[in-house]
Amino acid sequence: MSSDKPAFKYPLSWRILDHAENVAALWPRRWSPLTGYLLLVPALLLVFVLVIGLVYIFDYSLHELDLATYRLKDAFSLVNYHVALKSTTYRTVVLRSLGASFIVTAITTVLAFPYAYVMVRARSSGTRKFLLISLFLPFFIGQVVRAYGWLIILGKEGLLNTLLASLGLPPAKLIYNYPAVVLGLIQYMLPFAVLLIAPAITAIGEEIELASESLGADWVQTFRHVVIPLAKPGLVGSAVVIFTLTLTDFAMPEILGGGTTDFIANSIYDGFFQLSNPGLGSALSMILVTLGSVFVTVLFSLAGTGTLVSRENVR
Amino acid sequence: MTRKQNSGQKLNRRQFLTGSAALVGGALIAPGLVFASAPKKPKEIIVRAWGGAWGEALKAGVADGFTAATGIKVRLDFTEDNEIKPKIWAAVDQGRVPPIHVNWDTTTNATISALRGVTVDLSDLPNLKGLLPLAKPIGLKGYPLVNTYAYVYVCAYRPEAFPDGPPKSWSVLIDPKFKGRIALYDDGIGFTPVAVLVGGGTRKDIPDNMEPAWQFYRKLKKNKPLLGEDADFTNWFQNGEIDVACTISVNARAARQKGIKVAWTVPKEGCKVDTDGLWVPKGLPPNEEYWAKQFVNHALTKEAQQKWCSMLGLPPVYPGIKPPPDLVGDVAYPTKPGDFKNLLRIPSKVLVENQPKWFAKFNEIFQG
Amino acid sequence: MTGSRSKTVVLWSVVWFNLITLSLPTIIILGASFTSGDIVQFPPDGFSLKWYGKLWLLEDFKAAFLRTVYVSVICTLISIPSGTLAAIALARYRIRFRTALQVYLLLPFTIPLVVSGLGMMIIFGEIRILGQLWPVGVALCVINLPFMIWAVSATVNALDPDLENAAANCGAPPLQAFLTVTLPAVMPGVITGALLMFILAFNEFLVSLFLTDARIVTLPVSIYNSIRSVITPDLAAVSVVYIVIAFVAVWLLDKLVGLELFLRSK
Repeated sequence: MSSDKPAFKYPLSWRILDHAENVAALWPRRWSPLTGYLLLVPALLLVFVLVIGLVYIFDYSLHELDLATYRLKDAFSLVNYHVALKSTTYRTVVLRSLGASFIVTAITTVLAFPYAYVMVRARSSGTRKFLLISLFLPFFIGQVVRAYGWLIILGKEGLLNTLLASLGLPPAKLIYNYPAVVLGLIQYMLPFAVLLIAPAITAIGEEIELASESLGADWVQTFRHVVIPLAKPGLVGSAVVIFTLTLTDFAMPEILGGGTTDFIANSIYDGFFQLSNPGLGSALSMILVTLGSVFVTVLFSLAGTGTLVSRENVR
Repeated sequence: MTRKQNSGQKLNRRQFLTGSAALVGGALIAPGLVFASAPKKPKEIIVRAWGGAWGEALKAGVADGFTAATGIKVRLDFTEDNEIKPKIWAAVDQGRVPPIHVNWDTTTNATISALRGVTVDLSDLPNLKGLLPLAKPIGLKGYPLVNTYAYVYVCAYRPEAFPDGPPKSWSVLIDPKFKGRIALYDDGIGFTPVAVLVGGGTRKDIPDNMEPAWQFYRKLKKNKPLLGEDADFTNWFQNGEIDVACTISVNARAARQKGIKVAWTVPKEGCKVDTDGLWVPKGLPPNEEYWAKQFVNHALTKEAQQKWCSMLGLPPVYPGIKPPPDLVGDVAYPTKPGDFKNLLRIPSKVLVENQPKWFAKFNEIFQG
Repeated sequence: MTGSRSKTVVLWSVVWFNLITLSLPTIIILGASFTSGDIVQFPPDGFSLKWYGKLWLLEDFKAAFLRTVYVSVICTLISIPSGTLAAIALARYRIRFRTALQVYLLLPFTIPLVVSGLGMMIIFGEIRILGQLWPVGVALCVINLPFMIWAVSATVNALDPDLENAAANCGAPPLQAFLTVTLPAVMPGVITGALLMFILAFNEFLVSLFLTDARIVTLPVSIYNSIRSVITPDLAAVSVVYIVIAFVAVWLLDKLVGLELFLRSK
């Protein structure tokens, strides 16, 4: 009971916390089941910006461009969709984009799976780290810089042609064409694919593979019948992401394509900025959104949502 | 004596008071005078320009001189002319400040923008006096834009690929020998009207019957041309990616000046000749608009025109400037009426109404 | 990894092919930036640091770089609270229409980037904020938000719900429990997410292309414009800056949370 002990000073941080608690307590207890929704509000509002943007684009797509004034006419009309769907140009562009998406998804998955597998199963953490860093570096360097690097590699006087020349072979036309764009897309999508497949492989315990091999399967059969089926969630997630990213890509066809390999995104951009026709550009946008959503829905309903959607863990 | 001193002092004090009043009053008014004659200088003037040799010529010929004279930095923006158009239009529509101060644009594009009402009238610029008639835009009131020089879309080629001499006809573009080694602008600009003639039509067919051009383009597509912008042509010649192209002589000359063997010619069907100009978008703050107009004014001085256009290798609108030594008598440097005989000049009105349609059709054929 | 020789050979050859494909552009750019010549080629024409010297003197480069940093900071600052709260809400709280909301929150991924960029360009234009730099930061946060939510979700899912119950049991009111128990526990996810958001915003090109103009151009757009117009080796030097930043980011990410986090299954 000594009186020379200093009086307990209520810390400032506690005072602030008390005030914060009082503010938080304004959220009525009755509404506590709705707290989750409250926490979601900021994120929902941010994404809502995209929704409004989409509404505007939909609206623009229903108006025709008046060539005399270069403004969209007031009347509603489906002429933009007519042009977008009927014209052979856009049909080619859509088929080209879809084709590239399938090809890139297929090849990237084939290339990414071994990489993910080796990375997850690597015994030494040094190897794993090396493989991870090699993955993240290009991921963080960005699309434009990497495309620029490929321009130098594939160009007429670039690395590959210098190599060919030193071997006495004639120079090949490696750039400003469809294969260059596909190559650019594959190397760009590789890190995405590996990062989406890897968690699924981690979930497969190594014992399962050992069990399969102890039953007499060689490694190829183990892969075919055990590893790949069990890794399906990762493969699905990866396929969805790569397909949609390739379908909607803009930079690779623009930089590596030489002007003749437009993808849908490039046509949309041209619609707005080269033809000054927001109506047509918007119609193409709506078609792109529909295409992407249809594919994703089809794949999800066939194969589940994979590693893209998180599980519930409510208290 | 005291009296004299007193009056001397009195006078001195009065003089002093009057003098200081005048000084203070002058000090208050003087900045106003300065303000009235030259508005506040902005940090920088942004000028849209084409890249490669074009941007370098503008910088060395006009921008650097402007910065030296006024102290205002000039930044070049390389956004494509087609792309900046809707951005400026949207800015003016929505009452926002436009993204650039001065647009170095094709006369056709500038005319379209002028008809839309987004350009500032330049009629009060002092340096407009004495320029060649080419400088005044046709069919528009006053000076919503100023033409600054003329240029020709020549047939540029690598002499090594043409041992028998320069190509005599544009049909060389569909020669399978040059598959994948030919190049055009990515919207067909500069070639579409000529394509009518190569495709078997006549000048009268432009613009009402463009079908010969579309047929020629369909054949041309099979020859896998590269499509790009000004700087691309220089790069492609430099890197040996193409043998023949329809491009403005400036781009071929730029490669030639870097030591690459390039030449150009006007084939028998002719080449399109056109003009470029400068314009200032509406919506700039008053002081920035003033200095933007000053930039345009500066570009029309004899020194600027001489340096800028000789670097480009193009005939300027300032009268009496000699061509650079390597272009005397060159087909790409038309000065006398006789030089224009084999060149195709399409009136602005026709271009304004038809060029977007031609771009769209070109796009359709080559992207499809 | 277990298994036979042939397995090692086949799998590792694919891995090496991938490694070469992934790192080749980086090495090339690094090499080309040291050239003493005037055009971009590889192998470079002589060795020189002159393009790096020119780089820092470029006012435009400095300005674009600072604008990119500004935009990335805004993006990260907005995404931290919104993404963290959203992830915690989805994982911890009772929410009807959970799947629908998750699909809604994945919209930035499902709506193509080009469409998002255009939509935001139109809206920002309508409300007259187009042409300013801070809306670009907001836009970048919007399109990359799922990454933030994903990063925090990974940690939240691993969090033992009993810890919060224990805190409540000890008398902590809900906000205090949140601040002293939940938040520190999900901090690794938040930091990963924040780092990811910063780097993604720093590299973001397409949406920035629509929302910026010459007055407020950010570095990736500036590089893209330069590739389209003037390819001189100073562009390679600028790209090297990106490569260096990528190295730093990877190192940071590893130091803070360990790259192996990304291998863990959900």
